[in-house]
Amino acid sequence: MLNLLPHLVNGLMLGLLFALIALGFTLIVGLMEQINLAHGSLFALGAYVALQFLGPQPPLPPEAAQHWLALAPGWRYALTLLIAPCVVGVLGIAVEVCMRRTYGKDPLYGLLLTFGAALVIEESIRLVWGTRDHVLAVPAQMSGAFIFQGLIWSTYRFYAAGLAILVIALTWLVIEKTPYGAVIKAGAHDSEMVRALGINLPRYRLGVFVFGTMLAAFAGIVIAPIWGIRPHMGVDAVIPAFLIIVLGGVGSFWGAVLAALLVGLAIGLTGAYASEWSLLSIYVLLVAVVSFRARGLFGKKSMLEA
Amino acid sequence: MTGISRRRFVQTSAMGAAFAGFYGPWQHLHAQARPIRLGLTNDASGQFGNSGRDDHRGIRMAIEEQNAKGGVLGRKIEWITADTESNPAVATRVAERFITREDCSILLGALHSGVANAITQVANKSGTIYLNTNSSAPSEAGENCSRIKFVWDGNGSNFIKAAVQNAVNTIGKNWVQLTNDYVYGHSTAATTKTLVEKAGGKITENLLVPQNTRDFTAYLLKIQQLKPDVVSTAMGGDDNKALREQVAQLGMGENPAWIEPQADWPDVWGAPQSLSGVFGTTWYHKLELPGVDEFVKRWQAFNKNDTGAIPVPGNVSYNGYIATRELFRAIERAGSTNNIQIIRALEGLKMPAAERMQHFDAYINPNTHQVNQTIYLARKNPKPGDNTDHFDILSWTEPQQVEDEAAPGKCKLVPYEQVPTVDA
Repeated sequence: MLNLLPHLVNGLMLGLLFALIALGFTLIVGLMEQINLAHGSLFALGAYVALQFLGPQPPLPPEAAQHWLALAPGWRYALTLLIAPCVVGVLGIAVEVCMRRTYGKDPLYGLLLTFGAALVIEESIRLVWGTRDHVLAVPAQMSGAFIFQGLIWSTYRFYAAGLAILVIALTWLVIEKTPYGAVIKAGAHDSEMVRALGINLPRYRLGVFVFGTMLAAFAGIVIAPIWGIRPHMGVDAVIPAFLIIVLGGVGSFWGAVLAALLVGLAIGLTGAYASEWSLLSIYVLLVAVVSFRARGLFGKKSMLEA
Repeated sequence: MTGISRRRFVQTSAMGAAFAGFYGPWQHLHAQARPIRLGLTNDASGQFGNSGRDDHRGIRMAIEEQNAKGGVLGRKIEWITADTESNPAVATRVAERFITREDCSILLGALHSGVANAITQVANKSGTIYLNTNSSAPSEAGENCSRIKFVWDGNGSNFIKAAVQNAVNTIGKNWVQLTNDYVYGHSTAATTKTLVEKAGGKITENLLVPQNTRDFTAYLLKIQQLKPDVVSTAMGGDDNKALREQVAQLGMGENPAWIEPQADWPDVWGAPQSLSGVFGTTWYHKLELPGVDEFVKRWQAFNKNDTGAIPVPGNVSYNGYIATRELFRAIERAGSTNNIQIIRALEGLKMPAAERMQHFDAYINPNTHQVNQTIYLARKNPKPGDNTDHFDILSWTEPQQVEDEAAPGKCKLVPYEQVPTVDA
């Protein structure tokens, strides 16, 4: 009989990584009621931009590039974690500006627009970086392996899980503990009232979308050393992200985090005990939850259920 | 001049000249104008997108070279392509369209065995010849073989056969399998199990891995708990790349020992540091054989404007090129574009080693349509000669020694009379 503990630990870590992947997606769905199908492509773009900054030819003027390359790898990596999401965030501005015409209309328009954006971003990645795979190297201090419970573990995965916890906490603080978050939530609930109060809601919405985009890019950078980098890597992110928000309940922050942990545990445990079920298990989980609770774990009650 | 008047002679000559002027060149132009149309069913996206594009480069290069020589039987070769997306359902639609609407008389290309099998099913209905250039599932020349299909890559059985006996004897008898849950994985794993048990080893566990798995930690933890001597993988595409990367991150590349049927060059190129264990291949750009350097230079010249191309060709592009070149030669030998005659020209074909840039002569088994060829075993190169030198070739084995013996029992080719006739 296999020792269960390592697989529980692995499942929870995987769940945290899934939560990180789903965070930006959840934010945009929850606060803007828009499904951003470009989430996966923005996730991939984050990884590629980081690859460029961490590579031998950073996208900087020659003198700045020299200073950049002179930095210790750890510092370069830490700064890249901040810079690359900002670069992708600029693209997020462009996508949001295009999306404005779809607000208040049939959700299909927003879906089609973001789907188109996803295709454009993915093909642009192919044009710029080619079709080959890449590996995002992490600083030596974060790579390698260690022994725990008599088994070899990847050091980087623990760092990645730690970063996921940090970003989840920061996002929660921004939404729940800042006036900015309060306005955004109020805008999602009753946009006319918020506008009547003289608040520039489009600017706040732009802020949410860019923040969600940056979270997608950040997740891409963190996950890239584990999954590898390839143009279509976004597909691997957007499907679990979608599943997680449905499972957790659309619009629920902690619902999404809990759902991500459950998805991680399902994959981790079935991977060890019934490996052929490891990916199917998350869909079985979704069906099981939605069968008994159509709005997901923490989804808001709909008017029809009242 | 007797029996014919001068007037009659002039009249007849004029009519003849007029007829020749009308009919002769018209015939000639007709033959020239009607090109042979090929449908290139390459994966350009999805799990095998990267390798599929390299397959495409090899096929295109062979076509360009043939056209530069004047085509085949005096006819130009045209091609069209569509992304099969590493997806059998998409491949079915693409193959249907190529045959029924695009007038393609021959289909080429595949990496994913599900895709190759789907194309075969469609091509079977019309008798369209299909060259599976790069899918290496043993089932392709076994239970899924076809009279109209030829399989050009070494298959999983060939590679495993070259490695198993030695590994059981020198490394250990307890084996665990990591098997991608689709046709290539299952058919390769079944062959591996048979060979391991025949060699005196034992498969203690076969871990099935769903396609599109990106996180292998659960599997790698379990493998550590099972403590096998050898892990034999039958993984494909992006799944295999992610697995390799994660094995390397844990430093598990040497213990336990890893055996991989084939490492496709486009997969290796993106992450050469993640190579571990022993793996197979059909060709390497640094084989010290006549013609290899010249082929590499031609390939580089052909792809010089392709920003996505790897700097040097690998096994995938090589297989695509050789398959296409041999197709044209078969048409020329047959002197016809009739499908049955081309099939007959390919069945049992013997290909000299020198022409294939391999160590031993290759041949097409007429009962399975599998190209049996030299199988190389390699490992990560500890002393690379340059930044493309990732393989250390350990051995090369004659095709007869690694032929898939089970395939003829599983493959039932239909008689020629039951194959619909197609003329390109």
